[in-house]
Amino acid sequence: MKKVTNFVFLLIMIMIPLMACNNQSNKANVIQEEVFALGTIIEFKIYDDDSKKAKEAIDKSIQRIREIEDKMTINKDKSELIEINNNAGINFIYVSPDTFFVIKKASEYSKLSQGAFDLTIEPIVKLWGIGTDNARIPKQEEIDVLLDLINYEDLILDEESQSVMLRKKGQAIDLGAIAKGYAGDEVKRILTEHGIQTAFVNLGGNVVAIGTKVDGSPWKIGIQNPLDERGSHVAVIEVKDKAVVTSGNYERYFIKDGKRYHHIIDPKTGYPAEAGIISSTIVTDQSIDADALSTAVYVMGLEKGLKLIERMENVEAVIITEDNQIYVTAGLREDFKLSNPQFQLLENLN
Amino acid sequence: MNKTKKMFFLSLLVGMAVVIHIIEGQIPVLFPGVKLGLANIISLFALLVLGWKEALVIVVLRTIISSIYGGGFSVFLFSIVGGLLSNIVMIILYKFFKDGISISSISVCGAIFHNIGQLFVAAVYIQDFKIYIYLPVLLISGVITGFFVGVSVKFLCYHFKDMFAKERRRDDL
Amino acid sequence: MKKGDKIVLMTVLALLVVSFLSVIIYRISYKGKALNAKIIQNQKVLVEVDLEKIDEPKEWMVKGEEGHYNIIRVEKGRIRFIEANCPDLVCVHTGWLSQPGDIAVCMPHNVLVKIEGEKEELDEISY
Repeated sequence: MKKVTNFVFLLIMIMIPLMACNNQSNKANVIQEEVFALGTIIEFKIYDDDSKKAKEAIDKSIQRIREIEDKMTINKDKSELIEINNNAGINFIYVSPDTFFVIKKASEYSKLSQGAFDLTIEPIVKLWGIGTDNARIPKQEEIDVLLDLINYEDLILDEESQSVMLRKKGQAIDLGAIAKGYAGDEVKRILTEHGIQTAFVNLGGNVVAIGTKVDGSPWKIGIQNPLDERGSHVAVIEVKDKAVVTSGNYERYFIKDGKRYHHIIDPKTGYPAEAGIISSTIVTDQSIDADALSTAVYVMGLEKGLKLIERMENVEAVIITEDNQIYVTAGLREDFKLSNPQFQLLENLN
Repeated sequence: MNKTKKMFFLSLLVGMAVVIHIIEGQIPVLFPGVKLGLANIISLFALLVLGWKEALVIVVLRTIISSIYGGGFSVFLFSIVGGLLSNIVMIILYKFFKDGISISSISVCGAIFHNIGQLFVAAVYIQDFKIYIYLPVLLISGVITGFFVGVSVKFLCYHFKDMFAKERRRDDL
Repeated sequence: MKKGDKIVLMTVLALLVVSFLSVIIYRISYKGKALNAKIIQNQKVLVEVDLEKIDEPKEWMVKGEEGHYNIIRVEKGRIRFIEANCPDLVCVHTGWLSQPGDIAVCMPHNVLVKIEGEKEELDEISY
């Protein structure tokens, strides 16, 4: 008898750990949708039992994104932004609360980053034409002429009449580095208002995670490997209810004489930013903040960029430098894991 | 044996157990976690000649002292659970089934439970029970070392018999 | 041989058979699965990497408190502890891990390397 009980006991002791390895999957109703807007592909993934409600929320979101695009694009025939740019040095332009809010935010971040992020960068962006068929390396004189026009301090915002004006003729605003972020926040607002608690929206690499996964675990978000094709990642971060935005030199660029010219222009030099960073990811609550900061940090470089981020609350970052070092801010280290041995984790900066 | 003598003998045994434990740590292992468990010789010997309380005291002291020399808290935890489990099993077997079981069998059981206990602590500590894939190897090593320990203890007891006999005679005087 | 010895012998043999069988079943259930290696320190995953995608060998140093360290080497299809300043060096003696389900532990530093059969599933990539 004793032998039998012994045997059963030990059998259980051995089998329990082995059986504990089985993981069950939690299947939930997923509603997916892809749409082209804001010059990129926007993907929705909504986990909700009520497909009709989810579909409605997605439709409303897409409508909202189109609205934002129509107001803030510079690639169409007309928009509020184009009107501001056309009236630079001439007139105040009355704009919708949306546009006013985004321009104001962009102006705040221009100040905060001391011009590393500058919303009046448009003339130089157009000159380079990176990401278009007319991409080329401009002559130094061309850049010098336009550099004088790049100055966020020349933006006049009139809160009372909700109108905007640029001081000098030829100046122009580009909201490309922040409009997607705003759209992300708006989508999140709409989805949440529809009672959706679990969703995932990817606006061309700007990720907005709503809530947690269905099983309550955090979302797993990969950070693009700057040196590899899209889809391969260097690290994974786990987030709940956060916006994640990455800026990198691999997004839009052209190569001339073996040198890569990417789309993140340093407003101080007029050339693609070369501060030693090849990718900067910001994790925070508002997508608009993440969008602006990821560009700002990219231009500022590791040290200055980190100083900027450490001054702000609830903002975390993952920065990859050109010598394949990865720096993760303290608040994110617990939720960060490396997934590519090519890269080395920097413990601290000292 | 009087109290002082017993205490002296006990500390001598603890000292030997610690030395064996440390030397054993230097012997290269063939497989992770496989320890020869030679320090068990002392525990089992103490159980036979002194009693179960003394055997437990030796295990606890041996583990504490050894982890001061190297390891730290996790290693202490690791060996104390293995050591206690193995001793308790040996004590139970010896106290209740003494007549039906040989010293070597007791020692083999002790060694096996020592390994199972260590594995259990390790699994809880790292929160991953997959290290149980090492159980078969640890079982085999437990059987071999347990048997060796049993034989050694028998040998020890045989040679100490005279000493205890003398001791008793002196006490009678 | 006494009666108790026979019981012990039988139990030990049964235990051996069961544990070997369990390990064999465990191995079979993992056969042919992905080689997804994890390096875990204090229950936190520091690194998760697909061993099949490693082109050149690489070494990582996992630092702990009080100057504790373990050095882990990855190569295509395998991973191991190569150096550590723990007292027993069980982790280093474990050698290469190359099969799904393999595991190596450094108890004193609470560092664990294991290969899982499941590929990591990401929700999204931020680019």
